[in-house]
Amino acid sequence: MDTLEALVTQIQGLSNGEADLTDLHNLLKQSEDQLHSHTPRLPSLLLQLDPAKHSLGYLYFLEACTSAPVSKEQANDLSLIIVRFINSCIAEQIRLAPDKRFKDQVLMLEAPMRGVAPMLASVRKLQTSSECLTPLHPEFLLLCLLAKNYKAGLSILKDDIFEVDQPRDFFLYCYYGGMICIGQKRFSKAIELLHNVVTAPMSTMNAIAVEAYKKYILVSLIHQGQFSTPFPKYTSTAASRNLKSFSQPYMDLAIAYGSGKRSELEACFEANKENFEADSNLGLVKQVLSCMYKRNIQRLTQTYLTLSLQDIANAVQLNSAKEAEMHVLQMIQDGEIFATINQKDGMVRFQEDPEQYKTCDMIEHIDSAIQRIMTLSKKLTAMDENISCDPLYLAKVGRERQRYDFDDFDSVPQRFNI
Amino acid sequence: MATSSSSSGLTFKLHPLVIVNISDHYTRVKSQSNPPPTTTTTATATSPPPPPPRVFGCVIGIQRGRTVEIFNSFELLYDPSTDSLDRSFLEKKQELYKKVFPNFYILGWYSTGSDAQESDMHIHKALMDINESPVYVLLNPSINHAQKDLPVTIYESELHVIDGIPQLIFVRASYTIETVEAERISVDHVAHLKPSDGVAAHLTSIHSSIKMLNSRIRVLHHYLLAMQKGDIPCENSLLRQVSSLLRRLPTIESGKFQDDFLMEYNDTLLITYLAMVTNCSSTMNELVDKFNTAYDRHSRRGGRTAFI
Repeated sequence: MDTLEALVTQIQGLSNGEADLTDLHNLLKQSEDQLHSHTPRLPSLLLQLDPAKHSLGYLYFLEACTSAPVSKEQANDLSLIIVRFINSCIAEQIRLAPDKRFKDQVLMLEAPMRGVAPMLASVRKLQTSSECLTPLHPEFLLLCLLAKNYKAGLSILKDDIFEVDQPRDFFLYCYYGGMICIGQKRFSKAIELLHNVVTAPMSTMNAIAVEAYKKYILVSLIHQGQFSTPFPKYTSTAASRNLKSFSQPYMDLAIAYGSGKRSELEACFEANKENFEADSNLGLVKQVLSCMYKRNIQRLTQTYLTLSLQDIANAVQLNSAKEAEMHVLQMIQDGEIFATINQKDGMVRFQEDPEQYKTCDMIEHIDSAIQRIMTLSKKLTAMDENISCDPLYLAKVGRERQRYDFDDFDSVPQRFNI
Repeated sequence: MATSSSSSGLTFKLHPLVIVNISDHYTRVKSQSNPPPTTTTTATATSPPPPPPRVFGCVIGIQRGRTVEIFNSFELLYDPSTDSLDRSFLEKKQELYKKVFPNFYILGWYSTGSDAQESDMHIHKALMDINESPVYVLLNPSINHAQKDLPVTIYESELHVIDGIPQLIFVRASYTIETVEAERISVDHVAHLKPSDGVAAHLTSIHSSIKMLNSRIRVLHHYLLAMQKGDIPCENSLLRQVSSLLRRLPTIESGKFQDDFLMEYNDTLLITYLAMVTNCSSTMNELVDKFNTAYDRHSRRGGRTAFI
């Protein structure tokens, strides 16, 4: 009892200044067990602490509160407290203890929607810069997925991540991010994120990577119309050896898709339906099926200049010219092909991309791309300089140098002892 | 000290090599003498920065009739005790230069500073036995961005009667810059004034002209804003001039021109983008190479590859 009171006064006293905070942090880490054992008393003590000034101590207390099983009403109160805390805490203090998670409370309430906004605020606060990945990122994306609020997730996904602390966070982040992008039908970004999961360095097989690979196959079929089986060179050996064995039905689907025949695809679909359902990818697979028509029609644009609707229906294995007209019309509207339909004689004339590249929007588009590449270039040069100063690199390079180089006696050392 | 202009009727021609030599001499001495700036957070500036050092030297060239052409220069040591230049060294150098350039004579001397000083007259008189009317080339090393002309002045000495006493004083002489093609190219190269590459030279000249245009428009803009606020009395004639200037642009205003212009602009932007992408991929390539060398466990062992 007294220890808790003493702890409270300590927190109140030590919450200012850098050096004090580290002391406080150590103290709190040591007294974590004590806090956990005295959970019923904690809510009343919480009132004595001010979340804005004593964020670190408040955080530890809250975590102790939530670690014990709580009833539904208490969960309600707690989430309100948590929300208030998140809005008013000081970022530097919580960064010292980044591994506390609050989403469980919200999930218990079965209202993930309530958690989205405070989670977003907490993610922004925890990040030291917009390029850092925090453990809260994947939690936040999971909440967005459960709440079906994809737009909030997209705002976080727009930032490029350059620094990753925990690989698990990264995998989860990319996987959930890919799912959110699929939900928003932004397939190119989804492919990029899922590609990152599949090719990220991993020493052993990873369930997240397996699931991501399955979705990756499906999304690349939808978006690009083909799937390249060989892995890129930078994939880890663990992934390139084992991923294929886990996703055999999807590979079959991809092969069937590649053949271009509707019947084969449908047969494959029927055969593996349970597998797809078990992985909850049925919706994606259905999208793959519908997208087959589109791909075939697009292939036609490369061979023919004009084609009659009946011929299109025959080539794509559709039932009638009417259906073909519907499909072509839909694709023209979506901007996937450029064509004109002549309804009098049922002919479709395929055209070139009418983009003339002389609008101001195009200027803005290219300009923003140039700006992005300039920042990327600066980052790359900084990384290059960093690695040139790396002692590991200098040691290896010094060793491989030719010994008798009369022309340039550089200062690269032969042996680098630290 | 020197106020009036020369009436001797001599025309002076100065070669840019001399200017580069003097400035190089000064820069070297200055950077060698000044200690590197120390970053101490608590210490304030205890003393004002030391006065810039003065450097001295001799200028040589050819005198043909009324034209004095200064071709080259070399450095001399200044002896503060005797207040004169090192004579023996000068003569030795003169002999050496005579062997290579038999036509060149010692025409005078140079120094750096903001204005000619009293002590300079001693040096000037000392040189009078080599050349009966030496020239004094003075370079002002302080950087003044507003100044448009070269900070180089040439002084001659004249006998003037002041307060009844005939005295030698310095008078300014006008000069022109003269150069030959070979000298121009090499001075350009040494002074890093112009990139020799065609595209870069073109772009740098465009950049500098746009910068100048921008600064001038900014001055006008500032002026108009002040007039609008009421700080400056309205001057209608100036306003009329500004308005006529603005009406000159845009020169063409038609749909077709807009189309062509935007298309060409987009093409240029695309090329720039392509150049940046190439640049980025080359940096990334180097980075990946270095990364592989440093961290790759399966790298070549024991193989000697040429280090590029």
